[in-house]
Amino acid sequence: MTELAQNLIDALALGSLYALIALGVTLVYSVMDMMNFAHGEFIMLSAYALYALAGAPFGIALGGALVTGVLIAIAAERVAFRPVRKADMSTQLVTSLAVATILQNVVMGAADARPKSVATPPFVSETTQLGSLSVPNLEFITLGLTALVLAGLGWLLYRTRAGLAMRAAAENFDMARLLGVRADRVIALSFAISGALAAVVGVLLVMQTGQVSPTMGLTPVLVGFVAVTIGGFGRMLGAVIGGLFLGAASSLLGAYLPADLLPFRDAFVFSLPVAILIFKPQGLLGAATGEVRV
Amino acid sequence: MSAVRLRSRPSLAVSVLAPLVLIALTVAVGTSGTPSLRGTVTTILCEMIVVLGLQVFIGNSGVYSFGQLGFASAGAYAAALLTLPAAFVALQTPGLPDLIANAQLGAVGSTAVAAVACGVLAAVVGLPLMRTSTLAIPISTFAFLVVAYNVIGNWDRVTGGSGGLVSIPRTTGLVSAGLWAAAAAAVALAYKWSTCGYRLQATREDEVAARSLGIGVTGERLIAFALSGTLCGVGGALAVHQSGVLAPTTFYFVASVTTLTMMVAGGARSVFGAVLGTIAVASVNELLRGVEGGDKVLGLFSIGNTPGLAAIGVGLILLATMVALPDGLTSGHEAGELPWIGRLLGRRRVADRAAPPVTAPMGGGKDGAPAKAPVERAGALRAHGIAVAFGGLRVLRGVDLTLRPGEALGLIGPNGAGKTTLVNVLSGFLEPNAGTVELDGVDVSGRSPFRLARAGLTRTFQGALPFPQLSCLESVAVGAMGIGDRRGRAVARAGEVLDRLGLNGRATQPAASLPPAEQRLLGVARALATRPHYLLLDEPAAGLNEAEGEELVAILRGVLEGFGCGILLIEHEMSVVMSLCPRVQVLDDGVTLRIGTPGEIRADPSVIEAYLGHSYLEPANA
Repeated sequence: MTELAQNLIDALALGSLYALIALGVTLVYSVMDMMNFAHGEFIMLSAYALYALAGAPFGIALGGALVTGVLIAIAAERVAFRPVRKADMSTQLVTSLAVATILQNVVMGAADARPKSVATPPFVSETTQLGSLSVPNLEFITLGLTALVLAGLGWLLYRTRAGLAMRAAAENFDMARLLGVRADRVIALSFAISGALAAVVGVLLVMQTGQVSPTMGLTPVLVGFVAVTIGGFGRMLGAVIGGLFLGAASSLLGAYLPADLLPFRDAFVFSLPVAILIFKPQGLLGAATGEVRV
Repeated sequence: MSAVRLRSRPSLAVSVLAPLVLIALTVAVGTSGTPSLRGTVTTILCEMIVVLGLQVFIGNSGVYSFGQLGFASAGAYAAALLTLPAAFVALQTPGLPDLIANAQLGAVGSTAVAAVACGVLAAVVGLPLMRTSTLAIPISTFAFLVVAYNVIGNWDRVTGGSGGLVSIPRTTGLVSAGLWAAAAAAVALAYKWSTCGYRLQATREDEVAARSLGIGVTGERLIAFALSGTLCGVGGALAVHQSGVLAPTTFYFVASVTTLTMMVAGGARSVFGAVLGTIAVASVNELLRGVEGGDKVLGLFSIGNTPGLAAIGVGLILLATMVALPDGLTSGHEAGELPWIGRLLGRRRVADRAAPPVTAPMGGGKDGAPAKAPVERAGALRAHGIAVAFGGLRVLRGVDLTLRPGEALGLIGPNGAGKTTLVNVLSGFLEPNAGTVELDGVDVSGRSPFRLARAGLTRTFQGALPFPQLSCLESVAVGAMGIGDRRGRAVARAGEVLDRLGLNGRATQPAASLPPAEQRLLGVARALATRPHYLLLDEPAAGLNEAEGEELVAILRGVLEGFGCGILLIEHEMSVVMSLCPRVQVLDDGVTLRIGTPGEIRADPSVIEAYLGHSYLEPANA
């Protein structure tokens, strides 16, 4: 019983982390119809900001990570994604892959390919005793941050003018433009929020693993993509559900797979969603765009 | 065979020879160089085979796969394990089954086995992946790449795990790599110009229109996916026998991005582009790698040790291509189709000449198909009680419809009456909430559009939905290929249909270059090429001016007489229907208002009311 509860909390925590990744991916997708490969690099660069600011007080390092995530996302949009905004989805996807490759290798050139360890406050790696459960503090942090982010995002999207503009752009970009929504602003804002989410994820990943590496964004971006796909393209709630599902699956497989199959956990985690997509090709909630046009 | 050809002989010859000549030149450069250059060029030729593999799937389907390097990896491991001396096998991969462990194949044998194995693997993997939506395939294939990496990297007893394999026999020579690359280019071209290749290209150009022509999207993608996997497997097998070492990361993310860049830089739709792009990007890459290692480039400058520089270069090329030249260096053309080559050849393409007048009756005789005798066909297209609701909006509320072979039935009604929805149901694009559709006595409710097209029911769309990158002749031939015609027969059929509709002068022009009225006509031609028994035309005259509309009516009348199929003509413009259809069905607000002759319809007050509103009938406004 205790073990089950423990595993469920672990699953929820990892699911929350994955949901944050998926939200970052889907925010950009919903206004621009672009699956952004470079989201993983936004995460990676935010984590490197934490590494670069290792000597500073932790609060300042966190702020630096956040600012880095936001600035990189806005810069990538301005430099690379704006020229292909009108292009088809495949072109945008491959463009973001190019950006990801460039960012990843710039970091590799500047800070070499080996992982670097990053010190985090001791509190993060301690555990709290809850009855018979011992819960890592990091899981509380993850769950708390996720709740905070969801609430903040909900407030922004449904209680502010900017959020209304974003939702309108997500529904029908061209119509929103005709009605006076400023495309450049809405897209820049989506990237900024997406970058901030990436920074949160980057910080959590550093806290989890204690290190940074140039390729650390690859698995998260795949997680984000798959979560968005199984949740339904362009659906905020779908992204959260997809992320939770994927994180829970990964965590529970880690807990219950036989030892000799444990190394193949990722193979199981990423094969599962394909099964969902065969039966629900548009994802669990159905895609918000891309309906069959006849 | 008809004199109509998809491409002229000189153009065909240039398209086939250009990639082969380029490969031969590459081999020649390698032969004349140092041993290290030979090795580099051999590696590039192996990469080229993988890039050709990518082109087969991505170029023809227009759907990106990020998983093809997983097949290259599988091919490399298969070939390596089949050729490793037994002593090394025992050391590195103790868990390998004896059959493979003891196998000691030669270079060709191991490559062939790897090719077959990868083809089968790709077919098995593709079976579920190709069923996912067009949006999801890039992601599910990316997931496959990671799954393959995870399995290879952790299956220590069979693959040697993350440490990889060493001491693999280095049997791939420069010339043999060149020969394999040439063969791969030939296969890629042959596929592109096969009926399967054309069907897949049609789905790339317009998925919905392709489905309406009898093309099963999933199946066509799967064929290309398996062929692509085979080629990637060959590339991987040859590459590992060049380098002699192999690790799970050899064919992973970096290699995926590099090969993808090579393909798009050359032009994804073009086989020649894959060859050219590989050579171009590999050259830049090698140059940067020299700088990266601190070498002096061309004896000029050196900027010290800078890891990642080559990969940054690749990323920049990819970015620049996407932003500035999305169709690549070749604009997606094969060599013989390049405009400047055309000028060089200095003569008009054969197919540009008007096709000779068709003497055989349409739909049969000449190409061996039995001529249709539509009037004697017993069957009919029947719909019973079709009801469709979108949420609370009830668009159709129990509509019946019967279309007999050889007759022209007009379906009219004001905007929003449900005409197009009914066509969507009849053609299988929309599943009704209630009601059945019967085709020649067989219940076909719920069948997908492409199966209905093969069963003899084809539709057109309100938009022209052209295949922009295909020529008119190719576009129409795809229609015949969709229902299973072989290439020669399909092309002959396409020539006849174009001739009959007066489009024969347009045969080699890209479909996108036609004026709107002719694009609409091309849509009809494409549908006719499927030899339909029943043809549903959804507002063919929409958006055309009066003169164009009248011309279209004249042509449709010819279609009715010449092709012998039953036609359902949907229009809200009454005059077009009235002049063409002896029987007219009026739809209003989701129900059938009236069925009758044009005269009866014109005189029916309820029809006038539906069209013009109640007040029109009142004396004060008359």
